[in-house]
Amino acid sequence: MAATTKSNSELFLNGILNENPIFRLALSMCPAVGLTTTMTNGLLLGIAVTFVQVFSSCTIALIKDYIHPRIRIPTYTFTIATWVTVIDMVLAAYVPGAYKAMGIFVKLIVAFAIITMRLETFACKNNFVKSFWDGLGMGLGFMFGMMAIGFVRELLGMGTLFGYKVLGFRTLLFFVLPAAGFFCVGLMMAIFNYVEFKLKQKRR
Amino acid sequence: MNQILRITTGLIITCFLAGLVMGGVFTITHDAKKKNEHMIFEETMLGLLGYGKSTPPPQDLKFKAIYRYLIEDAKDIERKDLAYMVPVLDDKGEKFKLLILSQEGELKEALDLKLEPEKAFEAKERQEALEAVLGKEKRAIYGDSAIVAVQGDKRVAYLLPGRFPGFKTMIKAMLALEPDFTVKGVEIMEHEEDPGLGGEITQDYFKNQFVGKPFGKLKELKVVKEPLPEEYRKILEGAQIPPQERARQLSQFKDKDIYALTGATISSKAVTEGLKGMASSFAYRFKNLEKIASTQGLRLAF
Repeated sequence: MAATTKSNSELFLNGILNENPIFRLALSMCPAVGLTTTMTNGLLLGIAVTFVQVFSSCTIALIKDYIHPRIRIPTYTFTIATWVTVIDMVLAAYVPGAYKAMGIFVKLIVAFAIITMRLETFACKNNFVKSFWDGLGMGLGFMFGMMAIGFVRELLGMGTLFGYKVLGFRTLLFFVLPAAGFFCVGLMMAIFNYVEFKLKQKRR
Repeated sequence: MNQILRITTGLIITCFLAGLVMGGVFTITHDAKKKNEHMIFEETMLGLLGYGKSTPPPQDLKFKAIYRYLIEDAKDIERKDLAYMVPVLDDKGEKFKLLILSQEGELKEALDLKLEPEKAFEAKERQEALEAVLGKEKRAIYGDSAIVAVQGDKRVAYLLPGRFPGFKTMIKAMLALEPDFTVKGVEIMEHEEDPGLGGEITQDYFKNQFVGKPFGKLKELKVVKEPLPEEYRKILEGAQIPPQERARQLSQFKDKDIYALTGATISSKAVTEGLKGMASSFAYRFKNLEKIASTQGLRLAF
């Protein structure tokens, strides 16, 4: 794949809709199933992923010419791990309140498939600015996906949104359990696919 | 050969740069992180005593810490002694003394420590002071600590930071006891239980169930799989009701066991057992320590 010809705004929207990491690329399914019991989780993890994705994409875009093609993967892993550690340390030092809530998630980001995949397919072939917009779009797309699943699971499972009581009674416990994560992800993928199918039909 | 060199150099440079970035950030953030941790710890302690932003703590409220260590002797590995680092008072003021106890609970040695009370919360400072008095052959391993809150010369509460196994990982908690070992409050500081299930251990309606349990009841506290009565839940969550009515309602539940969280019986049991263990071992050790101090004529600083 050669350098992309898409404009910056197209790249940004691409990550959120056409190539949404969770619903279209089906990457990073572990957090999408395991950590989406509440919307707050989705939001916090989304913010952290966005930062790591943007920083890693930009770093790789800058140093892509110096990376030996055979050792791309170790270099990506180093880059991601470095940024995750940096963010972890900065959060712990300057925003202890937020760190208390998202500390356990931040360290998990090292192993997220979506970040390595974006570095491999996009950042190592495109320039700094384009990689920034792609990273931002992908990060926010991930956040959107996580929050959408979190919305359904928190509302139906606990009757709350962002921890505030909405329904006023304790609802279906099933939605809090990990298995429900699979159902929610599957259903939402189906909705995404259906919408795309309809749009294509219209165009014809 | 050429390729080997190129790959090796590339990876070494990457590692070196990554190390520089991480090392730099670590140096910059380290102090702030430590300060935060200390601040959160102190806030938790004050919160358990009922002080916060709107109700500032009185000036004469002081925290006196006791640190428990295990002493290993290089000459006799089987033999492990207990040691307490306690603040004592003498004519010149407050200082730390190290009381070394045999496993049977008899006092073996009482040593003076060169440690300023303000610096005692730093593990490094304590370790240095210990090394200075114990010599090379003995090694001190940190056990746990307990904090006595005093106001004037009156004991207000015992604060016990501790950790115990939860459903998945260790749970870090702090337990506050009244001077007669009745539970004053519970705070969960760190945990990784499932959000929405075991994670509910941080909620008021669970952790406030422990408040007011007398020591005798606490020692045999169990978890029951029954739904939490609605009126009890309201009180636990801090509903606004007249104090008399509140006291009457609470006394009704005083000798009840802990109502398990829905879908998280294991987490509920883990917390109950953990707090039980913390309280009973502290009470046993503390009484022993007080006995030793009085027979030795030491004036404890709390």
